[in-house]
Amino acid sequence: MTPPPRTPPRSLAPAVLVMGKGGVGKTTVAAALATLEAETRGRAVLVEFGDGESGRRALGAGHRGVEHLVITPAEAIQRGATPLFGSATLAKLALGNFAMRPLLRAAPAVRELAMLESVRQVVAARPGVRVVVDMPATGHAVAWLRTAKQGREFLASGPMFELCDRVARELVAPGCASIVVVTLPERLVLEETLELCESVARDPGLEVARVVVNRVPLPLSREGLADARALAASGGALAGAAAALVSVLEAREAASEGAAAAMEVFARGPHAVWRVPLAPVDPTSRDVARWLRAEGAA
Amino acid sequence: MSDPLVIVCAGGGGVGKTTTSAALALALAARGQRTLIVTIDPARRLAGAMGVPITDVVTRVPLPAVGDRLWALMPDPRRSMGTFIDHLFADEPEARARVLANKLYIGLADAAAGVHELVAMNLVARAATDGGFDVIVIDTAPSRHAIDFVTYPGRLADLLGGRTVSWIAGLAQRASGEAPAPKGLLSWGTGRVEHLLARVTGPNLVRDTADLFGDLALVRERFVALTRRASELLLGERVAYALVAAPTAAARDDVLFLATRLEELGLRPRAVVLNRADTHPAPWARALREGPALGPAITEVLDALEQERVARATAADGLSGELGRRLPWAPIVRLPYVEVSAPEAIVAALSGELAPHLDTLLPDAR
Repeated sequence: MTPPPRTPPRSLAPAVLVMGKGGVGKTTVAAALATLEAETRGRAVLVEFGDGESGRRALGAGHRGVEHLVITPAEAIQRGATPLFGSATLAKLALGNFAMRPLLRAAPAVRELAMLESVRQVVAARPGVRVVVDMPATGHAVAWLRTAKQGREFLASGPMFELCDRVARELVAPGCASIVVVTLPERLVLEETLELCESVARDPGLEVARVVVNRVPLPLSREGLADARALAASGGALAGAAAALVSVLEAREAASEGAAAAMEVFARGPHAVWRVPLAPVDPTSRDVARWLRAEGAA
Repeated sequence: MSDPLVIVCAGGGGVGKTTTSAALALALAARGQRTLIVTIDPARRLAGAMGVPITDVVTRVPLPAVGDRLWALMPDPRRSMGTFIDHLFADEPEARARVLANKLYIGLADAAAGVHELVAMNLVARAATDGGFDVIVIDTAPSRHAIDFVTYPGRLADLLGGRTVSWIAGLAQRASGEAPAPKGLLSWGTGRVEHLLARVTGPNLVRDTADLFGDLALVRERFVALTRRASELLLGERVAYALVAAPTAAARDDVLFLATRLEELGLRPRAVVLNRADTHPAPWARALREGPALGPAITEVLDALEQERVARATAADGLSGELGRRLPWAPIVRLPYVEVSAPEAIVAALSGELAPHLDTLLPDAR
């Protein structure tokens, strides 16, 4: 059987949702994508949930053209509720109600939905500008994306239904949002990433447009490894120390071979794969943007 | 027999927290303490390497060095909502069936953050009572909000115990015209809000919410009992919080955020574990560099590795200094970067490094 011909990567939708498990460098990649977008098209938005520190750090000093928006749960709920209740005052009255406060604190889906609605509003208010969203870690992010459709199914009617419907049609839909998954070149992490791609495609039905394999180790010299092996086998005074060096170099070689094998698996799939090399200390979003550009992103 | 000591390891993603927690548990078991390692967000890689299944059953870790002193609990997050409902409704089969069929529950089941932590903590509470453990090491989820699970039992108990449940139940009845609207000036504000909410959310959501809460109210006592024990373990005298970090800017932000969050909860990190922060070249690297002249290829490799180490150490020194100013009472345990392929080999190497620091990491109450 011949492999299907590789289709060139489709262009990204107005909203780019960056997902991945914790610690894979999601924030840096999201900031790099926004930086790249701003360099190419003059403007971009980076949306972050939380205190905004991570995105600010990842963007660094030179991020001209990137509008950095921070959305907190409380603001999102207020923002999402205002059109529902007709006015900010009525929304405040309802949200501050003695029964609503504990309900909102303990009912997470409401916050998630409100955050997505905020993103939808950001995208709608900036036509033609790409909005890159640094999503929460994997499992949680998939559940987030499903809230709109689930809400739509069981609400059936009313303003809350309409909100869910809007989010489902205008944000969590093919053509409106592209998923970018960030992963690491380790076999089991990559397996989880493949599962994530399938899960997102099944429900909410979004295709993963790009997979960014972050921190791809650069192999150290093969000659050095061969020499270290020879020294370890020599039985001399340094044989033990050389054996320790061999195990470090072998670990690195295994990591880069594993990365190469995984790259092949992903390359057979429908999404473009971009690699970002491993740096010993924090790369800036501009470094990562430069690497992504070299991989064909722009 | 007294309760076990608890060490909660918290940190951002990618700092080696799960590996460090496993190494800590291994070191405690190796020195003779009966230890349970609990991984809230199990990494299959590590579970596999340690020969432990991902299940809500406490399983012995089959490592020869620790005999039967090291046990693991790695519950599957995808199954926790079901487990939770089973625990709660053990004596109320009809209500359990209603809840499982409730549309709101079905919608919430995989979005409900905190439920998994709660289930895991209930399993821990049981193990703490029945397992005869000296120490329990809890590896939290790799998130800034991981610490918040400490407060989750209380938040849910507040919700179920407060007026919210009966109000929502009444709201559903009034929305369907089965009960009269509340009267009097004081209830005007409430009535107004009810009207607004019913209009905004639609009758289905109100009814499903009311049904779900009605059933949850049936098991409130049981819920409170389940969560009280978890809260005792997490907030009592016998717990210590260890923050795990690595010399990266993201890890720095995460660890400072978590320190602040702990303080808001009235807790103090007992110590910081700084991974990938070797102060000196490894003995083998020094031996090779200081020995007789080696070939250019091997020298080049050693130089490259040393440059990387210096870059990590410089970043680690900066972070150590900052943490020292921010958390002057918290000792910093620096661990080396262990670069080998097998995760179990990393755990073994780090447990050796942690062995001299165990008393620094254990809670005071002993």
